[in-house]
Amino acid sequence: MSVFAQLQDAMATTLNVEPAKITEQTSADNLTEWDSLGHVNLMMAIEQTFDIYLEVEDFPKLTSVDAILAHLQQQGVS
Amino acid sequence: MTKPLPIDRTLEAQSRPELRGLLPHAADQLNVVWAQKLIRHCAILEPTTGALRIAIVHSYTSELLNPWLSLATAVQGLDLEVYHAPYGLGLQEADAGSALVAHAPDLTLFLLEREAIHPTFGAPLAQHDQHTQQRIADEVLDRLCSILQRFRAQPIGRMLLTLLPARVGPALGAHDTQSDRSEARWWSALKGRIAGCLNDSMPAAALLDLDEALLDIGRDHFFDNRLWYSARFPFTARAAFEVASRVVEQGVLLKQPKAKVIALDADNTLWGGIIGEDGVGGIALGPDYPGNCYLDFQRRLLDLQQRGFVLALCSKNNAADVEQVLDAHPHQLIKDHHLVAKRVNWVDKAANLRELAKEINVGLNSFVFVDDSAHEIAAVRRLLPEVETVQMPTDPLQVPSVLECVARLQVLSLTDEDRTKTGLYLAERQRRTHKAHFGGRSSDLGDYLASLEMRMDVVYDGAAQVARLAQLTQKTNQFNLTTRRYDDRQMAEFIAADDWRVAHFSLADVFGDSGIVGLAMVRLLDAGTAELDVFLMSCRVIGREAERAFLETLLGRLERDGVRALLADFVPTAKNALVKDFLAQNGFSPRTDGRYERTLARHADPSGAQSARPAPPIQVTESDGAPDREPSRGH
Repeated sequence: MSVFAQLQDAMATTLNVEPAKITEQTSADNLTEWDSLGHVNLMMAIEQTFDIYLEVEDFPKLTSVDAILAHLQQQGVS
Repeated sequence: MTKPLPIDRTLEAQSRPELRGLLPHAADQLNVVWAQKLIRHCAILEPTTGALRIAIVHSYTSELLNPWLSLATAVQGLDLEVYHAPYGLGLQEADAGSALVAHAPDLTLFLLEREAIHPTFGAPLAQHDQHTQQRIADEVLDRLCSILQRFRAQPIGRMLLTLLPARVGPALGAHDTQSDRSEARWWSALKGRIAGCLNDSMPAAALLDLDEALLDIGRDHFFDNRLWYSARFPFTARAAFEVASRVVEQGVLLKQPKAKVIALDADNTLWGGIIGEDGVGGIALGPDYPGNCYLDFQRRLLDLQQRGFVLALCSKNNAADVEQVLDAHPHQLIKDHHLVAKRVNWVDKAANLRELAKEINVGLNSFVFVDDSAHEIAAVRRLLPEVETVQMPTDPLQVPSVLECVARLQVLSLTDEDRTKTGLYLAERQRRTHKAHFGGRSSDLGDYLASLEMRMDVVYDGAAQVARLAQLTQKTNQFNLTTRRYDDRQMAEFIAADDWRVAHFSLADVFGDSGIVGLAMVRLLDAGTAELDVFLMSCRVIGREAERAFLETLLGRLERDGVRALLADFVPTAKNALVKDFLAQNGFSPRTDGRYERTLARHADPSGAQSARPAPPIQVTESDGAPDREPSRGH
């Protein structure tokens, strides 16, 4: 499964939305379910899905699929 | 520490009880994604039995608890309806018109951190001497209880208070225990006082001690500092699920039928191995592994007995083999006198459970059935879905704690009667055995009753027993002429009133004391007439003619008080057919208006119809209740 597909799956499950609603253009600004609480849950979910550790400082930066994919790539997730 | 279960195994669970058994072994791998997956998995299992409505008053972020509350309710077969009050300990939510009250919760959960209750928690407690520490404790208690009192005035279900455990160790570190300014000791004492205040001054309110959850998990695994400092949410996934589960357990006790009986298999349940093959010397039970695991399990069963649950045996075996273990095995803890009933035979378990329910005189939905065989568990689940089933694990290390995932084995309160319940049931078992020695003719029954040497104690207007008397009106369905329910406050008023006579009795015999088991309430009208408002008796003492002895004693008293005629009613319900002829059989005549009447002048006349039967062989003493102390209400 590609990194995006894994992310899509984790995000859809965590935010309780259809996987189709998660695209590379999705961000906290255009998805209602991605609110501040959903965001915290999402950070935890991403950590566990990709077995990485996110710094508190990263939380506010990772508010779009684009930003998350970039961060994962930077962490060496492939 | 037991062998961890790969978390994907939990998705193979075929039922919610099975999932409840698996989850504790995979809890350390839980995360939000898995919580959602498991919630979806639950949706394809048995249907839920109802909704649990929770309202949350919180001084730290509570919304992040939602997935965990959803999972915990799904695992228990309930749907979650949750309302989060606005952040903070605001009293506006304690107003009659608040959104919290409108949510009509079954359970109102208070998630408070210490700092929200008293400003002093912002500074080291150890800077104060004992005297000042005591004053601070008084203030915390006052403040907390007055806030909770405000909430208690509203219909917000059961109130459950939690206090967030200390995120760091005491100011004095390892020296804390030695110091007379110990924070740990102060906190522990304060918790006890808070629980006492809830118990004594507020109905349906309790402290849920999160320090216990923290002990189970450990501080490092309990607090997530990233979430705390970034989102003011204290818990790791593991802790969030643990806390949510403990909260939902309380909801289960409110919403689901009360468990009363733990029915146990014997082989590979009470001990390791098979008695019929391994023999008394060969089964695993004793100080060495794996026998010590089963020994610990038995030890925990005795703990559950202290909570008011009774134990029964339901085993496919030769009865003599099992008896030999109960009587003669040096390490067997559960003895014959711990078991209120036994079915050891080769009949199928569902039939045996039905018989046990009949013998103990409780519904099958109050049974928790424990067995090691997946086949037996599946059969009972299919034939008797109202019985909660628990499968014994094959790994002996998981054996001792197997019943800890059963929410219904928690209790909301505990009365003195609950603590002695096994004794009451055992005395009943002895009576049945004793009765079997007598024949089936009516004279044999008379001989049997006489051999019990019964003593009845009738008390009039016993103010000290208000709680038990009100409880009798609430719980008695079968032997109950009118099924009128009264609460503590109403009962106290009737007892104090001059125009009411409230009589109750307790019954003792050679096998034991049954406690208070019967109640009659009489309203005195004008001109020598009175009416019987309530006449009831616990089914525990049915069949011993106690009702007749009680009625005649009461009538004698009323007659001495100048009553000449007693009116009575039979109000039929779905459950009280047992007493439909009681009045007619005891000298009451039906009237044209559907009521019954008995003239008490005839009572003094030995040739009266009601004297045709010999008096019950019960020695009766009468007394007037002293308006003394309320008996201690243990919780």
